[in-house]
Amino acid sequence: MFEKDEYIPKEDKVKFIDKSILAFLNILSVMKRKTSLGNGYVYSLNPVVKLGFTILIIIFLSLSRNFLFIWTVNVYLFLLLASLNGEKIKDILKVSIIVPIFTLVILIPSILAGNKLNSMMMLSKILGTIIAINMVSYTTRWTHLTKALKLMHIPDIFILVFDITLKYIYILGEFSLEMLYALKLRSVGVNNKKYGSITGIIGSLFLKSKDMAEEMYSAMECRGFSGEYSSNIKFKYTFKDFIYCILNILIIVLYFYIGRM
Amino acid sequence: MHIPDNYLSPSTCAAFGVVMIPVWKRTVAKVKKEITKKKMPMLGICSAFSFLIMMFNLPLPGGSTGHAVGAALIAILLGPYAATISVTIALVIQALFFSDGGILAIGANCFNMAFVMPFSAYYIYNFTRKMFRGKKGEKVAVLLAGYISLNLAAFCAAIEFGIQPILFKDATGAAMYCPYGLSAAIPSMVGSHLLVAGLIEAFVTLGVYSYVKKVDPNFIYQGSEVKSKPMYGLLIGMIVLCPIGLLATGTAWGEWAPEEVKDLVGFIPKGMEKGFNFNSIMPDYSMAGLSEAASYIISALAGVAIILIIFKILNSRRNRV
Repeated sequence: MFEKDEYIPKEDKVKFIDKSILAFLNILSVMKRKTSLGNGYVYSLNPVVKLGFTILIIIFLSLSRNFLFIWTVNVYLFLLLASLNGEKIKDILKVSIIVPIFTLVILIPSILAGNKLNSMMMLSKILGTIIAINMVSYTTRWTHLTKALKLMHIPDIFILVFDITLKYIYILGEFSLEMLYALKLRSVGVNNKKYGSITGIIGSLFLKSKDMAEEMYSAMECRGFSGEYSSNIKFKYTFKDFIYCILNILIIVLYFYIGRM
Repeated sequence: MHIPDNYLSPSTCAAFGVVMIPVWKRTVAKVKKEITKKKMPMLGICSAFSFLIMMFNLPLPGGSTGHAVGAALIAILLGPYAATISVTIALVIQALFFSDGGILAIGANCFNMAFVMPFSAYYIYNFTRKMFRGKKGEKVAVLLAGYISLNLAAFCAAIEFGIQPILFKDATGAAMYCPYGLSAAIPSMVGSHLLVAGLIEAFVTLGVYSYVKKVDPNFIYQGSEVKSKPMYGLLIGMIVLCPIGLLATGTAWGEWAPEEVKDLVGFIPKGMEKGFNFNSIMPDYSMAGLSEAASYIISALAGVAIILIIFKILNSRRNRV
């Protein structure tokens, strides 16, 4: 018993556990960051105005067949992006660059076959769209964004469901992360049952979700929840919003002048 | 399988959005009836669950990893209507907050993953379970539900991509959106899902289903007695859609005649030249005196009939034993 033991566990493939852990950590860190927002022009905009105009810009970007218009919009989006602080810009660019690169790789055969113009147009549009939507997501409180969904005539009860989903993605995400850590710590050396354990973790997650759902429902009922829920939008409109509206309306007018071609 | 914006034309996106509205309306009404309006918030937690399933990575041969979509699993565990709503919410959150999948393409993405996938999975699961009774039959049903439904969803996505160059061309005839037609989109999308993603989906669906069944069997969705009618509807739809294969130029991936192999590879493999040219009853799905589309449909019907007969014979033998 007192002898020193030289045990070197055999190497085993754990890459998929690490990757799952990373995926969860990524989601959790993105969600945690949302609680502390910075200050600046884009942050202080009214979420309803911001989301509404971003979706309009995305629609017109997608409809347009004119390079001048597409790049005017892209430059406008880059200028807005430049008004954020360095860390945020880095984060937004990091997540925004994946889809355009992926698209470029997919489009290579088509570009080689001679379809250059349209491929470039598709890439420019994708870049603009992704940056626009990431900018909204990174500079707005998510609970405000779900409230702004009311703009699209989404019923109040669904806005509540959205909020609950976001909260529980975090709670259940932490729960699954703990189970993944447990699996990783307990798999010393070669463990052939790991693959089955992943489905076990998902299964436990399902049962846990069901339990939590029941508990939450009871808690809500105890506090008088009757199935009716109304979310009121109480955002202030400021002078900044006014400027933002004017800028976006100018872009939409520009679409009708040159963008339709 | 999350389609980003600008891969599909705005009109395609709008069309799928319009298609999804009655689907959402019906599912919301159905879920309200099944779980009462008061319990609606519970759907939020189910949506969180369906969002998180996609985070679990599983190993693939060759060192890479992949993840399941989970729509088939949720359809079996919670029922297809709740699955449609929870996957839709998960997809909207992914598009809006994580820029995974496009904002305008939400209709198309929901059609593939929140409508086609859970409903086909649920009907395949029930249909197969009826065909093969017993424990093994249940396992086969879960496996098939996961595998086939994911491939159906991938097939729908492939068609959405593939019709873009046919429908939307600029003045010079070059494709404006996704440039690859059906003949390229279908083999690449469906091929990768048949070989890899489908297997992961089937494995995860079966693994989690067996686990939940073992730990707490009461939790599995017991819907009203499932009618096989929708299954037949699905089959009829697929049969009618069969001639879409005609739009694809050339033969299906892997189904070349020896002469075509010569064009592709430059020579006819020896084994193929002799012997192995097996004459099927309906060579190349076409029959004399019929239009190509009609003979496609008839061939599909024949295929369905043969499969049904085999299933029923196997089943009756099992019952006797």
